[in-house]
Amino acid sequence: MTDVQIVRGELQPWTDTLPTGGPALLALLDDLLPPSARALIAGPHSTEVIELVAARCAAVSVLLRSVSDAQDLRPAGNVTVITGALDGLTGEFDVVIAADGLDRVLGADSPALNWPQRAALLRALSTPDALVVVGVENEFALTGLYDRRPLDERHGDDEWRPLHDDPDRPTSPAQVREALGADRLYASYTAAGAVHTLLDVEAAAATRPGRPGARLALHGLAATAAHTPLLAPLADGADAAARAGLLAAIAPGWLAVRGAGGATHTAYADGLLADLDGSQWMINGNRVPDTESVETLLFRLAAAEDVPGFRALAARLGAWADPDGPILFDDLFPDGDDFVRGFSAGVFEDQVGELLAAAYHRLRDRLLRGHRRHPWPPWMTESDDLVATWLGMSGVDATPAVLARGREIAGLLAEPAVVELDLRTVLADAETARVRAAELAGKVFGLERTLRFRDQSLRTREQQIRAVRDDLRGLRRSPAMRLHEITRKVAKIRDPRKFAGAVKRRLRKS
Amino acid sequence: MHHHNWYYGQQHILARYCGLPDDFPPRLPGYLQHGWNVGCGWNPVHEFFDGAWRFVWSDAPRRRGHSLGRRNYSVIGAPMLYLMDLEPDLGRVAEAERKGTLWFLFHGWDAPGIGAKIHGDHQRLIDEIKETETEPVTISLYYTEFDRPEVRRVYQDAGFEVVCFGTRGWNYEGTDRRFLYKQLEAFRGFKRVASNRLATAVFYGVAAGCEPAVYGDAMELEGDNPLFGGQTRISRLWPEMLGKEIDLAAARAITDDELGKRFLMPPAEMRMLFDWNQRD
Repeated sequence: MTDVQIVRGELQPWTDTLPTGGPALLALLDDLLPPSARALIAGPHSTEVIELVAARCAAVSVLLRSVSDAQDLRPAGNVTVITGALDGLTGEFDVVIAADGLDRVLGADSPALNWPQRAALLRALSTPDALVVVGVENEFALTGLYDRRPLDERHGDDEWRPLHDDPDRPTSPAQVREALGADRLYASYTAAGAVHTLLDVEAAAATRPGRPGARLALHGLAATAAHTPLLAPLADGADAAARAGLLAAIAPGWLAVRGAGGATHTAYADGLLADLDGSQWMINGNRVPDTESVETLLFRLAAAEDVPGFRALAARLGAWADPDGPILFDDLFPDGDDFVRGFSAGVFEDQVGELLAAAYHRLRDRLLRGHRRHPWPPWMTESDDLVATWLGMSGVDATPAVLARGREIAGLLAEPAVVELDLRTVLADAETARVRAAELAGKVFGLERTLRFRDQSLRTREQQIRAVRDDLRGLRRSPAMRLHEITRKVAKIRDPRKFAGAVKRRLRKS
Repeated sequence: MHHHNWYYGQQHILARYCGLPDDFPPRLPGYLQHGWNVGCGWNPVHEFFDGAWRFVWSDAPRRRGHSLGRRNYSVIGAPMLYLMDLEPDLGRVAEAERKGTLWFLFHGWDAPGIGAKIHGDHQRLIDEIKETETEPVTISLYYTEFDRPEVRRVYQDAGFEVVCFGTRGWNYEGTDRRFLYKQLEAFRGFKRVASNRLATAVFYGVAAGCEPAVYGDAMELEGDNPLFGGQTRISRLWPEMLGKEIDLAAARAITDDELGKRFLMPPAEMRMLFDWNQRD
């Protein structure tokens, strides 16, 4: 158990779950933090964050409201662990880190401070030119708007006062900037405490559906919502927001940076550092054009039922495809007549055919799962025929082996399965099943109708055959036919003398 | 799935294109458009059953059908275009040797007990044809008119050669599978194709290299249902296709559009679209 200092407002027994950390936050702090004398980490943060700050600063104070959380920390020698509430802390710091936000810094015994008052407390602890990093949860987040749970079921034991019913809480990038005097602002996407993605709000606002920036945001949103029961798929709302230039406004939260610090990147994600430079991104040193993804273009052509356009693009993909890595159309971007892979990495020892098959399997899965409009009938979508058709458009012979291997690769590249389907998808699935049942019943009706036509056709043929038989029978009974029969038999007699002898012998015997 | 799909041997042509026997083509899982159409691909009162796919020649009928609440369309291109691909040399002559006009009289239609005849002034039409055409004219009558001596003889007596390409059939009986083959062979020998209404044959003729013309008394069809707008709508939408001298480049562009040239697909794709691959 670590010795801790106690200030007013500590909580016990209590623990704050899921302290904020994650690779994206660590990468940002690594770029940002200057060497300094005194640092404060306010609120629950991961051990890695504390260690990183401790490595840059001579003295670090960590403020945790939970006594047991504070006692469980195993800090470096230059770290002082303090337990209590923000309103009980005094001091002045060159670096202030509150990436977890200002919602877990008060105790049950603290006064009912609203968000600006808590921010003011933090400001009072900072030197005038301090580097301050503050997380802000967004009440207007798409993940919140699409949350299926009623408001009173979302925050559990944290809300001994209605913490989120705060009219003074900043709820847009502009309001956050103004409230904190932020010099840099990131849209922040946190999954179970770990910051999954950070995307500069200017870049987020400027991006459009299907572009690399939107892909970063969408992946972040998906990670944030992984354990949230949703009303509808996030992608639809995110695309609409991106079109409106509002992607930064609907992020799950923001990370504001005030004060000087090291140079930072446009975006941070798991293992990725990305910079937007005009019309192109530099992603881990690789140039990626800031264009709509191939998947966006293919979905648009499918929705317009423009099969020739789809075929033309598929042909271009077939001509381009190389075996240098996996092909994910949602992460493949046109670059003139060429295409460039985006964020995905990985190596498969497969031929182009198998890699394209995987890409088309993935496209099919995402097309159908999203209930997107397209022109292909169910007997194609419910089998491998659709993927085979697309492969054919790309000039690949869709053998069973190619299709099977493509399915395997697509499975390896697939996102984790959704734990609980969103409500709209459940309803849409049910409606699709109802329509399919009606269509299959209609198909049975149609086939029976066809059988009726065929039966009529057979009856007509049968009548024709019977008429011909009757004619034939009548012909056989006619004198001309009888004469023909006799003539035919007579014609078979090869030796008339022998025949006459045989007739005579038979007459004698009788 | 519907006997209309056999009309003019269209389903047979598609089966052959897919490398399947065309004497008794496999069933189509839906309806196949059998003529150029200003509506959703079929006549205004055509019945459809749930789940049947609608295979149309071009994108316009798909869009119009969608506006009528109909779904499940696939645009495939006209079977005649596939036939032209299958029979690149059928009836083909040197361009300089093409001559005369193949003139299609707008025809009635046939169905046991519910067919409809055309009515109009044939003599006036003949006079106009003679005034207009400078080379020999062959009149094509559908069998509904060809079998009416009072109609056929009017044209024969006027000195025209009169031909009939066959019957489209009914309930899988009487379909002349060579109907479109014969038409294609004929088109490739003529310089011009003409009709008194903008109709399928005019587009086929243009696709086969003929210069088009649409003029003369459009005549009346018994019980004609103008739900889709009739002749006046045609004149609003395709004025370039009406007249005795028509700009050939414009006509070809419109024809490509109406016959769905850009929607033609390779055989392997068509087999999957029609669910014609053996699954068992």
